[in-house]
Amino acid sequence: MNDEAIIRVEHVRKELAIKNGGEEIVSVILPDISFDIKRGDFAAITGPSGSGKTTLLYLMGGLDRPTSGSVFLDGQEISALTEEELAEMRNRKLGFVYQFHFLLPEFNALENVMMPMLARGRFSMSEARTRAAELLSRLGLSDKLHNKPNQLSGGQQQRVAIARALANNPGVLLADEPTGNLDSKSAETIYRLFSELNSESGQTIVVVTHDEHFAAETKRILHILDGQLSIDRTLR
Amino acid sequence: MRINYHLATIAFRQLQNRKRQTFLTLLGISVGVMVLITAVSLMDGLLQSFIQKIVDIAPHVIVSGERVTPPVPDQLIVSGNGNRVDFIKNVSRERQDVIKNYPRVESLIRNDSLVELVTPLVSMDVIGMFGTISQPVQLFGIVPSTEDEIEKFSRSMVSGSFDALGRTPDGIILGTSVAKDFTARVGDRMRIVSQSGDIYSVRVVGIFRTGINDIDDNCYVNMRLGQIIGGFSPDEASDLYIRVNDLPKDGTVARTIERETNYRAITWEQKAASVVALFKMISGIVYFLVFFVIMVAGFGVANILITNVLEKARDIAILKSLGFKRGEITIIYMAQGLIVALVGAAIGCVLGFILIEIMSSIPMASSSQSFVSSNHLMMGKNPMYFVLASLFAVLVSLVAAVGPSRNAARVNPVEILRGER
Repeated sequence: MNDEAIIRVEHVRKELAIKNGGEEIVSVILPDISFDIKRGDFAAITGPSGSGKTTLLYLMGGLDRPTSGSVFLDGQEISALTEEELAEMRNRKLGFVYQFHFLLPEFNALENVMMPMLARGRFSMSEARTRAAELLSRLGLSDKLHNKPNQLSGGQQQRVAIARALANNPGVLLADEPTGNLDSKSAETIYRLFSELNSESGQTIVVVTHDEHFAAETKRILHILDGQLSIDRTLR
Repeated sequence: MRINYHLATIAFRQLQNRKRQTFLTLLGISVGVMVLITAVSLMDGLLQSFIQKIVDIAPHVIVSGERVTPPVPDQLIVSGNGNRVDFIKNVSRERQDVIKNYPRVESLIRNDSLVELVTPLVSMDVIGMFGTISQPVQLFGIVPSTEDEIEKFSRSMVSGSFDALGRTPDGIILGTSVAKDFTARVGDRMRIVSQSGDIYSVRVVGIFRTGINDIDDNCYVNMRLGQIIGGFSPDEASDLYIRVNDLPKDGTVARTIERETNYRAITWEQKAASVVALFKMISGIVYFLVFFVIMVAGFGVANILITNVLEKARDIAILKSLGFKRGEITIIYMAQGLIVALVGAAIGCVLGFILIEIMSSIPMASSSQSFVSSNHLMMGKNPMYFVLASLFAVLVSLVAAVGPSRNAARVNPVEILRGER
């Protein structure tokens, strides 16, 4: 495992303009934050609600742009990319998992996982199908390929969402409270899954979580307090 | 361009998920397309049957006695105070322009290979008298055999026979309105008073009804008798009726005649111009109203798309985070508009076809039954109605889809994904 930074956050500042009646209030979410995520890292971003951890994750995923400072992914400054280039990059290099599964309700598990592969046309329909089926089997859903999201349990839905995030073999998997909406047993399965993905395939994972228990499973904890990095602790 | 099946599939499944609203939108478009097709068919059918009627029973070109270029004065004198005096020789009494030496003009016209038939006639205003009734009528002197080839009187006879006119030198054929006014029947004798005051006795040999009031107000006698009553010389005619064998060329024939004979020749299009223009205006109003029906269908499309975009904001956000580009999101919703429009138009075409068939089989009492063989509504039948109506529906739907699709493309994933928390 090399020490190369796959994500570098450099002096990132994020302000949000909130309209309150007639006047605009600018609130600073992240005053100035810098850190690296190394290839093969499994990092948890923790912190109280409103500390800016989700904003940070979105900035790292190119879904949002910093007010100032830079975010590098694979050595490329993503804050300088156009919206089209960002879409391309998100598709190729990043996988997202959210608190809610956000699966497309009209499509079955297999089709949901195929979607990112078809989005940029890098896979043919049959390649995408084979790969999606493999991913879902790996996540223990081989018997649920043709179920629609509403025919799956919360834990199963989240596993489909993880399979979808992994579809294009991304450099980084970004997860926003992936267990936040699950019972403890399903949450447990998801922790284990993340750990396995990291230890077995060297998948770089950054996960935002409230869950101390989950955070303890990771290799590194980045604790955010009022938009500042207050603790950066490597666990193992 | 690569066909994006997955985009089309997303579009299609989202519509499938909203069956009731999709159905209502489809219904709106279908009805719009159906009404448009039927209205076009009806208006076109009316115009076509009207033109067919004219082509069938009206002369294609009418040559009148009017000169294209007025005669040049024989002498022109300008007096000292600026007044001008034209002298024209052989001035007789004031009378209508006539075609002089018409047999020669007729044979000249007949030389044109486009001309199928020429028949001369004289026309005049006279007073008809029967019993105690007397009233003005329009009287025509005709050559029965050739006249019938053009105006098809023998098809419209309600009593007597048209052929009898040719065999009866003092025979007269009455239009049904005239016959009714005089209460005259076949075999009756009536009198005609000419403009010069001479009285002629004629025998009714037939009564016809064309359904066209202008013609049913007329009376017809033999050419020779007409010339005598109207004071024409034997070689004078007031008009020549011409039938051409290639209708679109009637304008060419008319111009050739004017050039060669200097007599004014007008085509049926010129004569019927005001009626055709009226038809076109009515059609315009009908299409304008139907246009609104389709517009309403367009609102339906906009409505379902706006609802879909609002309701699917979360899915749009997720698609964007998966790497779908703005353009692709736009395509998904434009495709929904297109799918609804195409399916709606297809259903509308089938419904329109059925409605046209039903309407054209409804019996219709028509004032012109006697010479139009069908007594049903004349519906136009042309594949272009379907093509144009469908294209129009697709166009309106796509225009309606533009706004919602652009809104969909503008969805900001961060706002939506955050908002779920």
